Amino acid sequence: MQAKAFNPQVFLEFLCYCVFGGLILYLVKSGKYLSYVTPRMEPYLYFTVIVMGIWALAGLGRLFRPQYKIRSSHCYVLAIPILLLSFPHSPLSISDLSGNYVSGNTLSSVPNVAPAESITGPTDDSSSYSENDFSSSDSAAMDSIDPSLSDTQTGILEEEDGYTTNLPGLDTANKKITVSNDNFSMWLTVLYDNIEEYNGYTIIMTGYIFNDSESLQKDEFVLARLMMSCCAADLSPAGLICKYDKASALEAGSWVTIEGTIFIGQYEYDGEKYDDPQISVAKITPTKEVEGYIYPFY
Amino acid sequence: MNTLPVYVVTGFLDAGKTSLLNILLNRRDWKDVRILVIQFEAGEEEFQSQYSNCHNLAFPKKVLEQQPKLVIEQIRSILQNHKLDELWIEWNGVIPFSQLQSLLLDSSLRTLCKIKKVIHLADAANIENLLGRTGAALPEQIASSDFVVVRGIASAKIFKRIRHLIRGINPGVNIYQIKDYDDLCQRLLEERDRPVSFFFLLVSMLAALYFIAAPVLEDFQIPVNAFTNVFLGIILQAIPFLLVGILLSSAIQVFIPQSAIERRFPKSLGAGMLVAIIGGFCLPVCDCASIPIFRSLVKKGIPLPVAVTFMTATPVINPVVILSTYYAFGGNMRIVAGRVCYGIIASLIIGLTVATWPPKGQVLSGGVLDRLMCSCGCYEAAESVTTFKGKVGLFLRHSQAEFFNVGKYLVIGTFIASIFQFFGTKIFTTAQDGAGLVVSILIMMVMAFVLSLCSSSDAVIARSLAKQFPTSAIMGFLVFGPMMDIKNVMMLSSGFSKRFIGRLLIVTFIVCFALVFYLPLVGGI
Repeated sequence: MQAKAFNPQVFLEFLCYCVFGGLILYLVKSGKYLSYVTPRMEPYLYFTVIVMGIWALAGLGRLFRPQYKIRSSHCYVLAIPILLLSFPHSPLSISDLSGNYVSGNTLSSVPNVAPAESITGPTDDSSSYSENDFSSSDSAAMDSIDPSLSDTQTGILEEEDGYTTNLPGLDTANKKITVSNDNFSMWLTVLYDNIEEYNGYTIIMTGYIFNDSESLQKDEFVLARLMMSCCAADLSPAGLICKYDKASALEAGSWVTIEGTIFIGQYEYDGEKYDDPQISVAKITPTKEVEGYIYPFY
Repeated sequence: MNTLPVYVVTGFLDAGKTSLLNILLNRRDWKDVRILVIQFEAGEEEFQSQYSNCHNLAFPKKVLEQQPKLVIEQIRSILQNHKLDELWIEWNGVIPFSQLQSLLLDSSLRTLCKIKKVIHLADAANIENLLGRTGAALPEQIASSDFVVVRGIASAKIFKRIRHLIRGINPGVNIYQIKDYDDLCQRLLEERDRPVSFFFLLVSMLAALYFIAAPVLEDFQIPVNAFTNVFLGIILQAIPFLLVGILLSSAIQVFIPQSAIERRFPKSLGAGMLVAIIGGFCLPVCDCASIPIFRSLVKKGIPLPVAVTFMTATPVINPVVILSTYYAFGGNMRIVAGRVCYGIIASLIIGLTVATWPPKGQVLSGGVLDRLMCSCGCYEAAESVTTFKGKVGLFLRHSQAEFFNVGKYLVIGTFIASIFQFFGTKIFTTAQDGAGLVVSILIMMVMAFVLSLCSSSDAVIARSLAKQFPTSAIMGFLVFGPMMDIKNVMMLSSGFSKRFIGRLLIVTFIVCFALVFYLPLVGGI
């Protein structure tokens, strides 16, 4: 008969698999994973949970197999992400991006989605917006992103097929588009793909004021949301350029709902001019911050 | 009653175990210590006690194998009937150490004695030869030792080489030359480390450090919060793909016998390259996954040029990457086709350079060992486990070990990349102002290397820079980035020699640069 002795290394590994797998499962279930990666990763994260579960179960069988030399340092591979995940930290907000790599990025993360601007980062007075605590952040708002994704996708698909009916918030009769917070990304894509079609429509949408860019005119600002293309490392503002007489007086980083008319503007970059859907703003109403990011292709 | 401390000396036949015992146990200052020596091997040298404080018992290998109960019973009766201070065991070089453990953990012995220290003795003259040829017992003995004593060292260079070899099996082990035995005796009395307690201690210290240091650093404008988010973003993005790669590579390692690969795999270089490209196209994984697979392919004896082609092609040309590039560039087929073509051409050229100038010396850092057994510490060559159940078990353990092995480099690489993200691409975009084509390409390639983005999603970032950089520079980013970046170099170093990685990095850089710079000039894409 095989001799038995408690094996602390196997136990430690078992613990790490369980905690890491459990944390990932919690992140996916609660929707909090969207602060780090895009919804595209959801099936892959479930896969990770399953692998961790199998490894943990496999470890159970060796829990009492004697082993003289016990090692533990390899477990930091899982312990460090576990620690960082459980330490209190808030999702990146617009103010975090000053000095961040994204700020050197262009607004045109996807030119079909957003105009091209080089961003120098929001000004300091927007720092008050960073204080949304992770734990207190409204997970319902994050959850609500999910159903929208399928909408968005069908929206884009229909777009490619040339059927532009039934887009959420579209009122063809009154030539009016009401962009809900969940459909921000989708409408950016649709508007850029069909610059002519929606010319002259009235549009209502919510975002934050981004006007700290050298390439913007005095009477321009960008109504932006933070867009994640791959993971938290590449968050960057994306949105539509708005014409507004008192644009320079607006507080950078403040959240507003605007109402205005879409027109075909010109965007100049490097001596070349590009067509660009822009908004002539009629009304600006301050509003509260919208939680969560937007994701392209969804 | 206190348990009797057990000291074990392991080592292959003729390594000099008995000589070591003669040196150690006949020291004048130990002459009042009552010692029992049990030998499981009959070597050329006899154990001789000068001060008659040592008793001596020997079991032939045959008895140990056929009548373990008898051995246990004899040891038990001696331990119970004699008053002893120490038990020294000279273990047989070809029997796994775990068998000794089972012996001492037998219910009749486990309360009487406990292993305190394990010393492995190696003869510098033949240890390198023995390790590749003598099966699993020897590496297993080295891996479970607290000290390794090397004797017969001819030069400092040889000692360095042997030390590297041993550390590859047992990282962090104390290695002594035989003349240092005074030092060794001191260390024998020290308490053993308690790695698991140490682990929890360090984890709680890290937690405390974070809570104390984070607010302070934030005060100094160092964005700990942003860093945490970026780090976790990259890690959560990379770990699932790493798992895919590791499971595939472990499956190759465990379930596909080497003979099948040798028989089936095309012999000619051209056909092999073709298989590599097609294989790369069929595997929807990113660079995190292709590196473990690359390593297991090399270990299984796939020709190195073919494996290199596979590794460099896979992350550029697989369907996921093609699709994400297509979306990111708004359906611009020129970019998509360009990326795929450049990827294939570059990987073929890189493979051919390896074929034309084969790397000198060891490519795999584990050297001879990697061929015999997996580096995972399971010490069971995949070929020797034949049942399906056994293979599944080995597969699981192998994948776990490989996950930790590669994962640690992923964590370090991500850490460095996160710090660079903090400095921002701004330095790159600023440098671009008014720069020529060559500089632009170089900037984009360096940026791809530093940012270490996952190849399945880097196209979006490339697109965001497309208006500031010329197409050739964007191509450089899209082709070179997936093949080589900080994260990949770190992960490669889990299994390959520094020299080989360095060469691969330089060749890849030059080939990618030359392609994206010259090909458009001669009327390419």
